[in-house]
Amino acid sequence: MHDITLYHWEPNANSGKPMLALMEKGVPFNSHYLDLLNFDQHKSDYLAINPQGTIPAMVHGKRVLTESTAIMEYVDESFPGPKLMPENPRDRWRVRWWMKLMDQWLAPSFSMIGWNVFVGPAVRKRDPAELEAAVQRIPLPERRTAWRKAISGRFSDEEMSESQRRVALGIRMLEDELGRREWLASPQYSLADVDGFNLAYALPLSQPKLSNDELTPNILRWLRAIYARPATKACWAMGRTDMVKRVKILEQPHIAGGGA
Amino acid sequence: MSLTLYHGEPNGPSFTVLAALFAKEVPAQLTYIDLAHGERHDLPWAADAQVAMSVEGEGPVLVAGGEAMTDSVFLACYLDDVGQGIALRPADAYGRWETMTWCRQMIERTAPAAAFLGCRAYPPQADAARLARMASTDLRARWELIARGEFPEAHVMDSRAKIAQAAERIEARLEGRSWLMGSLSIADLESYAWLAGMVALVPEAFAGRLRLEQWLERVRTHPAVARALALTRSGDPRASWSVGPEINRWG
Repeated sequence: MHDITLYHWEPNANSGKPMLALMEKGVPFNSHYLDLLNFDQHKSDYLAINPQGTIPAMVHGKRVLTESTAIMEYVDESFPGPKLMPENPRDRWRVRWWMKLMDQWLAPSFSMIGWNVFVGPAVRKRDPAELEAAVQRIPLPERRTAWRKAISGRFSDEEMSESQRRVALGIRMLEDELGRREWLASPQYSLADVDGFNLAYALPLSQPKLSNDELTPNILRWLRAIYARPATKACWAMGRTDMVKRVKILEQPHIAGGGA
Repeated sequence: MSLTLYHGEPNGPSFTVLAALFAKEVPAQLTYIDLAHGERHDLPWAADAQVAMSVEGEGPVLVAGGEAMTDSVFLACYLDDVGQGIALRPADAYGRWETMTWCRQMIERTAPAAAFLGCRAYPPQADAARLARMASTDLRARWELIARGEFPEAHVMDSRAKIAQAAERIEARLEGRSWLMGSLSIADLESYAWLAGMVALVPEAFAGRLRLEQWLERVRTHPAVARALALTRSGDPRASWSVGPEINRWG
């Protein structure tokens, strides 16, 4: 039994951020898997830990921490191991700036596409009454709206095309920034890279016409470098769904333009 | 390293950064720009990704070592790192987590609502040349909605509710304490930044909340804050707004 318990779903997006940060630091933790597609995060035993019903949550001793990016900073400050925030104050600013852009501007567009093609169809097979009861249990009204949209597939064409526009622009921005330095936001591997990998690890599969070795060589170099890290390999090995197995695309030495 | 801060009226994000700068006693050249007329888009760094794509919208720009930096909470963290004055974040990791989580809630839920209601009451105006220069399509779209006077009633109601939720949260947090995190912190500055101008616009959110009322006064009269507020050119910074962060696209 460790001092830390992490409640998480797959090594993907928000759940994967503290998972990978803990593993990079070499901090042992109890892994408590919550099946997002089974609405485990809205069941009473988890709501007793995190009343907002969001994942991930981390229990350290008697304290419960939420918000994946803030958890990562806490993990980096609290435990020994390699530093994942740079020392230079301007580099620290840049790490936070990129994490915010990814968390609040880019990730919602990725997830709107992802929910439309993955989460929505996966849960839609269930009994509608059971689904409605599950949605009713969601504490945050914003999440109830999001789940209803995902379940019904009620994203408008305008919403989807705006998400696609942002994904395309975000890919260009990442490519440009990674053309300036080895890692995304600082001279060393940082939480911005942990955050970015969780967002973009399957990019050459999900957006093959926008991200491949010809169009975005810096993104591909960066993703492969992160995937080559032992902590990343160990973290993604904790995944249970086909969604996270998409990471294996990064084992291909060359991903040609026009689709994988 | 010389620093230059391009800031607007001491309200919203410019308030947070100015107050942090004074609290931390960081020497910097201060240059006033009219954010409510889109003057940020005249700066030489306007097209830099970290200015053009700032999630915060029309906030201040801090230039250090040739790099233009944006986003008020992170600028305040930067100033907290480099300055000599009082610490603006708790010393322990948990307190710092609480501060960042608090600010994230303000950034994501309160700021879009406050900016929406503020711009509805005091619409900013950018001319066609500045609109054309805006590198961010979604920022320009928010400017254009304001120019057309499009403030959907559903967003008005939702924004008012979000201000009330923030007021309720602060009132609850202040039980048995004077400041949100122990002593004056970035959480106080960022919360005051977005809520001070809401007292007149959403009065019911503040009614009967004595701790909140006393805290607003406590923040307002803090010496660093008073210096920031004294930089107003309009006389009432709470009535000066520019385009803020977008309202969550997920509804």
